[in-house]
Amino acid sequence: MTLSCTLLLMTAAGPLVLHAGDNPPDRVPSYVSWTPETIAAASSGDAFRGMLLARRCDHCHGAEGFSTAASTPNLAGMEKLAIWKQLQDFKAYKRMSRTMNSIAESLSPRDVADLVAYYAKLPAFADPQDDRAFPQPRPDQSHAAIASHLVSFGNGERGIPPCQACHGPVAYRPGVPSLATQNAEYVLSQLEAFANQTRANDINVQMRTIAGLLTEDERHAIAEYYGSGLGFQAGGPTK
Amino acid sequence: MLTVLALCLIPATRYYQIDVPLLRFLRGSRQVDPLSLHLSGEFVEGNLGTEQDPDGSVTVRMVAQQYLFVPHCILVPAGTPVHLRITSADAVHSLAFNGTDYNVKVLPGTISEAQLRFPNPGEYKMPCREFCGAGHYAMRSRLVVVARDRFPALGAGERGNCAAQ
Repeated sequence: MTLSCTLLLMTAAGPLVLHAGDNPPDRVPSYVSWTPETIAAASSGDAFRGMLLARRCDHCHGAEGFSTAASTPNLAGMEKLAIWKQLQDFKAYKRMSRTMNSIAESLSPRDVADLVAYYAKLPAFADPQDDRAFPQPRPDQSHAAIASHLVSFGNGERGIPPCQACHGPVAYRPGVPSLATQNAEYVLSQLEAFANQTRANDINVQMRTIAGLLTEDERHAIAEYYGSGLGFQAGGPTK
Repeated sequence: MLTVLALCLIPATRYYQIDVPLLRFLRGSRQVDPLSLHLSGEFVEGNLGTEQDPDGSVTVRMVAQQYLFVPHCILVPAGTPVHLRITSADAVHSLAFNGTDYNVKVLPGTISEAQLRFPNPGEYKMPCREFCGAGHYAMRSRLVVVARDRFPALGAGERGNCAAQ
């Protein structure tokens, strides 16, 4: 996988026009590019082997893909390409995490594909007996109204696209995580990291731009909305 | 037959002046790989925004993607030629400038070019005018035209935009 990404990087540099004054070198947010080969590589894993490997991830991400702490992302039923891309970015130090960088470095391309296949297969509704942190309490009335409007309609006046157009359940784009079963604290931390550029592995400045357009209150509202499991519902504002 | 041809030509004089897809393909050399815009080449993230040209005009580089134009706010000086270069990372988009005649079709794989000029300072909404998916109606960015003396002096590697405001 790393090899194909590097090859892709080298071939892509050839035919394109180089602009004057190329120093300092261009900042690349992520080496992942959604070519058919990349997508095939990311979705060719063996879920059974992934299940055996995933026992190393249980401690933080939970035995059923529902994490035990709200600051750690849930992986149950997550989009294949989304986990795959994040692991590639952790491996390449494009996304920084004290824990995940070294773990991702130790995984072979096959391990990554297998893990991805396993987590994508896990049901998004967990056994209620387990110790997951999800779902969290529902947002209060004013926050729920702000969030449901942003999630379903975005804000045309300010140019904020609706969350559900990419993060599901209305539509998905390659590499975009589903937010149906995500922890509020994790969603909020990532929105803040994108807004203040401490996380910058999004392709074409997508999430950095959107998170930067949101106000502090809106980020909290969206995080609470997804954290309480409302992300499963498509459509209009909450009644 | 001639009437039909004449009718076709009338709206084409202004609306399609800055975007003739056939000409664009014939001229060639404007092909980019929409999937690897962020890896190398003209549309890497550090190169997006307004660039000051040596002759006093400015070049604006943008990427259109579902459902966002990047950078989200463009800053240009008034009364100066603006060379717009924009490409798409996924679907077909169309960058319109509300309140003007300008409308630039954006196709994945090619660079759309347009020569624009904004005589007066002001703010224009730049919506997407080509249905591009579920979030199309919220795909809208801003163009801020400032007086020439208020436009910041940009160095060789610097790119300006007003997204932080």
